[in-house]
Amino acid sequence: MKEVAGGNLEALRFLFDRHHVYLYNFLYKMCGDEMLSEDLCQDVFYNIVRYRTSYKNGKFVSWMFTIARNSLSSHFRQHRAKNAPLDELPLQVEPPENETSENISQLQLALNQLETSDRELLILNRLHEIKYKELSEIVGSTPGAIKTKVSRALKKLRKIYFQTVQE
Amino acid sequence: MKNKHVIDLLPDYLDHLLDAKQHAEVRQHLEVCKECTEHLKELELLLSAFRKEKMVRPGTTLKTRFDHMLEEEIKRNNKPVYPLNTRWLLPVLKIAAGIVILIGSFALGAYYQNIKSGNTIARLKETGQQYKQTAMLSLIESESASKRIQGIGYIEEFPDPDKKITTALIKRMESDPNTNVRLAAVHALEKFARSEAVKNAFVKALENETDPGVQIAVIHALVRIQEKKAVEPMQRILKQESTPPYVKKQIKALIPAIT
Repeated sequence: MKEVAGGNLEALRFLFDRHHVYLYNFLYKMCGDEMLSEDLCQDVFYNIVRYRTSYKNGKFVSWMFTIARNSLSSHFRQHRAKNAPLDELPLQVEPPENETSENISQLQLALNQLETSDRELLILNRLHEIKYKELSEIVGSTPGAIKTKVSRALKKLRKIYFQTVQE
Repeated sequence: MKNKHVIDLLPDYLDHLLDAKQHAEVRQHLEVCKECTEHLKELELLLSAFRKEKMVRPGTTLKTRFDHMLEEEIKRNNKPVYPLNTRWLLPVLKIAAGIVILIGSFALGAYYQNIKSGNTIARLKETGQQYKQTAMLSLIESESASKRIQGIGYIEEFPDPDKKITTALIKRMESDPNTNVRLAAVHALEKFARSEAVKNAFVKALENETDPGVQIAVIHALVRIQEKKAVEPMQRILKQESTPPYVKKQIKALIPAIT
């Protein structure tokens, strides 16, 4: 990413190839909409190009997810409750249509029932294996607080998950 | 530890994030606690579900769109835009030009204003001078002797009086019935002795003047201006019997001063 910030835009191609699937999956898990996820994914990379000079030496993935979070929240701010903060947004995934419901895993269904902030933390921490330290940089918190939050979210998810499995 | 559930430590236990001591403690607890073991099983299942969760492949359009965007950006980047370090120059130059124009127009306006008001002031001064001159001349011609003296005194106001004033003063010196007025006129004229007309007037007055006081004033004035033409009339006055002795004394004393 340093190279990109320095003006070598070709280097971004490599970063895109390496990370865009993860980014897309994160967005997809968060909003449950394929088209929207693609649009937001495009947005994120556009912003990376646009604000490349403001990139400070750090993990590219953290920076990318920070931008992704901003894109998500600004998208939902524009389309739904205008003044509600990110954590209180009614970011509920639309119920999947019948034909695609088979493709949606139990885990995804359980995740969908969590609050946005919990879901976000679990997806990043468990699915993308982002460590507490980087995670705290992304959401702007301390590693300790993140650890507690993740652990709590995991408890909630376990409850929901085994309820849905038993049904 | 044995009686305390370790549910909160289980995620880190599975992630191997606990230190050796804690890890051992959790394991010990799990051997005896059914509840925690149940939790662990569930958690393992849940975490394996995370691991099994398939990555969704995005559509190929995403890649195409990205490539397109990147191409555009590279193209835009290669355009000869102002390099980063001189980009600030343009707005700064604009502002500088604005300031220059502002100050320039202000200075120009002030300059013209100055010329204009300068002209007006000069004209006003001129008219003021003219009024004064008229006032002075009318005072000099006045019936009252004291007013005439006052008028003559106004000569101080004219650093460079014109002919009209000097003529009026000469006339006073030669023909005013009042001695004091004549005396004042002599004193006033002394300042303009450079003028040939005034010099001649002094010489003439020396011959015609009968009042000894005025005579002495005229003699002093002539000596001070070093008028050589005055020597002859002075000697004539010396010979006249009617001349008072102190006037003669003055002339005798002063003639050698004219060289």
